[in-house]
Amino acid sequence: MKGYRKYFGKKIFWFVLTFIAAVILNFILPRLMPADPVASITGKLAGGNTDAQAVAQIYERYQEEFGTNLPMHQQFFKFVKNAIHGNFGLSFSQYPRSVSDIISSAIGWTIALQLPAILVGWLLGNLLGALAAYIRKGFDKVLLPVSLFLSNVPAFGMAVVLLVVFGVYLKVAPTAGGYAFDMIPHLSWDFIKSVISHYQLPFWSIVLVSIGGQAVGMRSMSIYELNADYVKYSRFLGIKDRKIVGYVFRNAMLPQVTGLALSIGTMVGGALVAEIIFSYPGLGSTMYSAVTSADYPLISATTLIITVMVLIVTFLLDIIYGFIDPRVKAAQFE
Amino acid sequence: MGKVMLEVRNLKTKYVTRFHEDVYAVDGVSFAIEEGKSLGIAGESGCGKSTLALSMMGYYFPPLHYMSGDIIIDGQNISGMDPDTVRKTILGNEIAYIPQAAMNALNPTQKIIRFLEDVVHAHDPKATKKEIREMAEARFAEVGLPLEALDKHAVELSGGMKQRTVIAVSTILNPKVLIADEPSSALDVTSQKMVIKMMRQLMESGHVKSMLFITHELPLLYNVTDDIMVMYAGQIVEKGTAKEMVFDPVHPYSHGLMGSILVPEEGTRGHKLAAIPGAPPNLKHPPDGCRFAARCKYATADCRYTSIPEKTFGEGRMYRCLMGIDELKEVYSHE
Amino acid sequence: MKNTIKQVFHSPKFVGGFVIFVAILLTMIIYPLFNPGNPLQQVSVGTFARPGTYVSLYDATKATSNTLRLPDADEKRVAASLSAEDRVAMVEYFTTMGIDISELDTEDTDALLQMWDDNYDPSVRPKGMTSAKVNYYKRLNTSLQDLKSGDTLVIAEEVDGELVESKKITTTDYVRTGAVANVKTLPLGTDNFGRDVLKELVSATGTSILIGLIAGVVATLIGLTFGLLAGYVGGFLDDFIMFITNIFTVIPGFVLLILITYSIGQEQRGAAVVATVIGLTGWTWTARSVRSQVISLRNRDHVNLSKLSGHSLIRIILTDILPYIASYVVMAFILQVSSGILAEAQLSMLGLGPQTTKVPTLGLMMNWAMLYSAHTNGSWWAYFPVILVITLISFSLNLMNTGLDQVFNPTLRD
Repeated sequence: MKGYRKYFGKKIFWFVLTFIAAVILNFILPRLMPADPVASITGKLAGGNTDAQAVAQIYERYQEEFGTNLPMHQQFFKFVKNAIHGNFGLSFSQYPRSVSDIISSAIGWTIALQLPAILVGWLLGNLLGALAAYIRKGFDKVLLPVSLFLSNVPAFGMAVVLLVVFGVYLKVAPTAGGYAFDMIPHLSWDFIKSVISHYQLPFWSIVLVSIGGQAVGMRSMSIYELNADYVKYSRFLGIKDRKIVGYVFRNAMLPQVTGLALSIGTMVGGALVAEIIFSYPGLGSTMYSAVTSADYPLISATTLIITVMVLIVTFLLDIIYGFIDPRVKAAQFE
Repeated sequence: MGKVMLEVRNLKTKYVTRFHEDVYAVDGVSFAIEEGKSLGIAGESGCGKSTLALSMMGYYFPPLHYMSGDIIIDGQNISGMDPDTVRKTILGNEIAYIPQAAMNALNPTQKIIRFLEDVVHAHDPKATKKEIREMAEARFAEVGLPLEALDKHAVELSGGMKQRTVIAVSTILNPKVLIADEPSSALDVTSQKMVIKMMRQLMESGHVKSMLFITHELPLLYNVTDDIMVMYAGQIVEKGTAKEMVFDPVHPYSHGLMGSILVPEEGTRGHKLAAIPGAPPNLKHPPDGCRFAARCKYATADCRYTSIPEKTFGEGRMYRCLMGIDELKEVYSHE
Repeated sequence: MKNTIKQVFHSPKFVGGFVIFVAILLTMIIYPLFNPGNPLQQVSVGTFARPGTYVSLYDATKATSNTLRLPDADEKRVAASLSAEDRVAMVEYFTTMGIDISELDTEDTDALLQMWDDNYDPSVRPKGMTSAKVNYYKRLNTSLQDLKSGDTLVIAEEVDGELVESKKITTTDYVRTGAVANVKTLPLGTDNFGRDVLKELVSATGTSILIGLIAGVVATLIGLTFGLLAGYVGGFLDDFIMFITNIFTVIPGFVLLILITYSIGQEQRGAAVVATVIGLTGWTWTARSVRSQVISLRNRDHVNLSKLSGHSLIRIILTDILPYIASYVVMAFILQVSSGILAEAQLSMLGLGPQTTKVPTLGLMMNWAMLYSAHTNGSWWAYFPVILVITLISFSLNLMNTGLDQVFNPTLRD
């Protein structure tokens, strides 16, 4: 039990440390840059206004709002204090909506899309990879290059291909949005149906992309495990092949949990871009519109939220892994 | 004469490589072990002794393939049986195996008792968990393992404990034949002694009826087994009792091997089979004549081209050489 | 060394990837020799010209013609000018007239026209048909009859304010493409700006690979330095570097990229700057794997011998450590290049790619195609080749990497 506590203590310590570092980076990176965000925003907002005094006024107002007139450390504490209260200021592009309002309406869509898609892709990929390793001949020869090729299609590329094939040509699924554009979100059968049909293409594009990479990893992991001594030993004790495949699959899959934890950041990045292709009302599209309209507070808050989400998922996967794989227990808990 | 537990008659097996070049790793091996007896097989690495161990179990995985010959366990010929019957009734039940690297032989993510359940259920699906636990506890006590080890994962056990666990798992169903493939080569001296003691104990208590011990460390064989066979390039070149083989080897290969060992003591380490200059022949295309001819000091032109018969002498001794016993003894005496 | 290279080239996976990659590189180098010029030059007015060979209509009328009598020429001409809507309208006419069309195939122009000739009667006004519709059918009928009769076209030139006939063109006049002064083949059509997509694609592939290489070099250099220092020097330095590496592993590199590139601003964002930033956020993998390799190496005999001989740190690292980890570094580098190319593409999709007016990159081409809805208006040539090229580059690099992995880690070999 002491081992467990030490293990989790260590994990939590790292989580907190990384969390703090992420917040600091999120705060400091834009401020390190030579360009003054407030000046560039003022420039955009002032537009053709040549009245120097009016421009200066706008500049000062924004300086006040962002607190850029304060010393750096005070700015930081103000930023942290506001962030804890979920206050990220007002959006420029969707004025007068607050940033937290925009994010809270988008975050649900992103989680509902990406979490199941990445998990399903991970599971299917692992199954296919194990199958390829087990069957090898022929099947493996076809499946491996296909998986390798699929895993190299960028997420946005897969999104576009699916959109064109199934949305534009076959017309089996809608191409844009999270629900029909003439609907107002409410709880009704029609609305749910619309959401589900809009869900298909983004979902499958993320699944297909993650399948490939996972299958390739799982295949080599399984081959490694299939050659392990315990497989041979179990066979010579008369244990059924099916049961042994079960051992192998379990042992090969467990490290894939860590693999998922390590690659989830990259996967989320790709999936966010896929959202843009489908104009899905999640964080990816929010970020895109924030970038194109130079909505600085919105960008900063979106990146912070994404980082926090990835951190939490990684942390949870790490904890789960510690519980389910006795190898970690033996290595870490002593 | 005791009851014959295992008899192997002219067994031939081969490896089929990727480019369909066959490697004849076991090429016409015959021997028998009686109840309560143990047999040691010695030879350089690559001589086919490990392959022989795998071949004797009658269950083949690619690239290893059965060619011909009989494997008879307690009167039952298993060489013609369908693989699934062999798996169900023979493997792990009648004939058990202790692999070379016992350290890695256990699935790291499974509790030992779960594995034992799988082993027993493979042969007796009706066994209850309670019965299996009782069997396991008895066997664990016999090999000196703490009962808590049953509920641990393999990764949580120490090297010596893993070794004992593998012995306990392999013998849980009281096999008629136990094949141990260098079970102690990765262990330190005390653990080696312990393993050997434990295996002898299992024989004495009757839980294991007969034993086959494969190794490249001769001192180990002398103290453990009743008989010794020397294997070279897929064939048995000489067979006899442990004492005869160590103090009176006949075949030039055995003679070369034993020559370097003076008085072997129990558990002495470091006396690997003496290095004889040269390398064994390529078993893809085994030579027509004596397989050892290329490395033999006494070989003549005849040796290279004539096929060499097995010759018997004394009380059940056998050797494979063109030269007669007196001839050989004569040559050795001049060294 | 020579042996290792020979072994690597025996791996079918590596060779497969290598061949694809070299083919892409060769295309990049050779294609501009045949089709020189600025890839960003606009060749067409208007967006998304279809792929194909464009023949100058002006020059074609000036070229000497031959007379060819081809049996199916008339049918083809009518079929080509009969739009899908016209066909639907004709079928609609038949149904309102109560004609049995169960046997009719609307794609079969001959049968359709035959039925039209048999059934169309301009004097009849079907019930419920608006007069606009009636007039539409009249116009359609006229143009169909014109097409079939094969009227002669007259080319006229303006001389002193009067039109003077200079040439007559009949339906049997043909011009050899070689005889026309201006013929332009656009194998992948043009993009939203009217640029030659193939030319742009070749140039963009070059830029993207360059971005990948710069990102790869930056990431590998940082990762290698950190990994070597952490692994070889150890102690506090190791702890500190691993602390930084751990943090950068968990924080998504993508997020850092967005923050940094956004903060840099559009004006400063050249391809090289974007590439460097990508490299700056992607070094953690290399650092980790180099470190663990170095740790396993640093107490080997040959390293200890060098230490005892009083060799300098740099010399030990260069001669006793680097050669042993070279294969890992090369493999990590290949992966960095491939993920660098992908990162550029994703950034560009977000509108944070290199400055748009200077160079084309694969990501920017993709971004423009999406902004101009190439995917919904059927202009596949503007985006599909881009996706294919990104995939192929990344596929070939990963294939090479898998091949190398199998050579250097024999347990993975089949």
